Amino acid sequence: MKNKSENISLGLFVLIGVVPFAAAFGYAILYSFGIIGVVNTGFTLEFWKAVIASGEFFKSFLYSAVIAFISLLISVGGALWIILKFRNQLERKFLSYISYLPLAIPGVVAAFFTLQLFSKGGFFSRISYNLGWTETTVEFPDLVNDAYAIGIILAFTTIVLPFFVLLFMNVYKNERIQELSILAQALGAKKNQVVRKVFLPILLQKTWVLIVLYFIFLLGAYEIPLILGQEAPQMLSVLIIREIKQYDLTKISEGYVAAVIYTVIVTLAAIMLFLPKKHGAYET
Amino acid sequence: MFLEVRNLTKSFKKEQVVKNLDFTLDAHQTLSILGKSGCGKTTMLKMIAGLVKPDNGEVLLAGEAVTLKKPEKRNIVYLYQEDLLFPHLNAFENIAFGLRLKKLPQAKITEEVDKIIVSLELEGQATKMPNQLSGGQRQRVSFGRAIITNPSLLLLDEPFGSLDAGTRKRMQTLFQNLTKTYNITSLFITHDLKEALLIGDKIGFMKAGNLKVYEDKNAFINDTTTGVQEEINFWESLN
Repeated sequence: MKNKSENISLGLFVLIGVVPFAAAFGYAILYSFGIIGVVNTGFTLEFWKAVIASGEFFKSFLYSAVIAFISLLISVGGALWIILKFRNQLERKFLSYISYLPLAIPGVVAAFFTLQLFSKGGFFSRISYNLGWTETTVEFPDLVNDAYAIGIILAFTTIVLPFFVLLFMNVYKNERIQELSILAQALGAKKNQVVRKVFLPILLQKTWVLIVLYFIFLLGAYEIPLILGQEAPQMLSVLIIREIKQYDLTKISEGYVAAVIYTVIVTLAAIMLFLPKKHGAYET
Repeated sequence: MFLEVRNLTKSFKKEQVVKNLDFTLDAHQTLSILGKSGCGKTTMLKMIAGLVKPDNGEVLLAGEAVTLKKPEKRNIVYLYQEDLLFPHLNAFENIAFGLRLKKLPQAKITEEVDKIIVSLELEGQATKMPNQLSGGQRQRVSFGRAIITNPSLLLLDEPFGSLDAGTRKRMQTLFQNLTKTYNITSLFITHDLKEALLIGDKIGFMKAGNLKVYEDKNAFINDTTTGVQEEINFWESLN
């Protein structure tokens, strides 16, 4: 009976979780080699060569990786700092409730908020104008759709930072970091040593898988870079969708090449991340 | 006197948890302290360790007042009730923690840790992570980590409370050996009468924030308020 229900669960998982993904991936591979597609005529490496030769995909990949990395660095660093300095205040009911709120904001809404607040015609630009700091909207610095992706990073941080604050709060309690810090002090650790040798390593070691998963999530984010990004380079998902949706039907296959490369890289990273670890005799 | 506690008092809100605590302890001696839950034993240890600020009184260690010193400056190690190990470090690194803080050379750290691993009968466990060790092994690593820093005073808060009877007995013997080998001065809190008698050179009994330290073990046994006589009568009635 137990085996039967396990088999049904496995079957459902394969049907819902694996089959659609594998089918879409297979479709993308076939499209990328010209085997299927409206104007494609048969197997060719032409699209792969074109994508590799143009270098736009790799530029976009690097651009996305840098943005995702900086956003995560600010979010994780900020969350750690908040836990270190304001943990007691965050344990109060009201603040704890407030910190959950940003998690309910969809990416597209966060992107529009950021646009409304930081664009040249936005809220802060108007304040700056009324205070006499700027005379025209052009003088207001480029904070959205800008070369340094400040708008994207701001929006990513708004969404990701509260999540890490809540995550670190829970790990702090579950791993009893408060007691371990006191113990470290009793063993002779100064406050900065407690942070470096107890607080940071435990929190980061317990959450690094989620940090990497968030990196992958930000790498493939779509709505925020679409609304707040610049024309070129674009973040990966925006580039891939632009290629696939464009009017030049001969270029669609190049979009699928980019999608296949991106999927392979992310899948390999995920496999490495979740490879089974060796367990010890008393491990629970 | 090595440890002198004078008039130590602590209240939480309106409740006075520790009342005018006054006692002394010679170097290389262990004072076992018995008492019911909530009688102020843990607060007393935390005040001596510098983890809780007393309202009044002072603590002197080898004649020097340490009451206002930060915990890390006192050279007093407080051991929790549970075998609280650093989860990100293996057994070797847990033991070496205090030595690494002092930035000793690697060769010296290896030598010291290897020596204590043998004393603690933990050979072959050095590279294991805390979740790969049994309860007794974790407690021994916890001891090793405290002892290796050569603390002036070791404060143990019911260290064997969570162990099974067999492991507890082995740990008691091990602790007695370690205190002799490393000349440890310690305060040892326990709920177990037999353990208190076995481990302590002196015995104290804490009740409602007051600590009474007995002249010798006989004085403790003969005091009807400690519950020892009831225990003896119980076992005799079984014969």
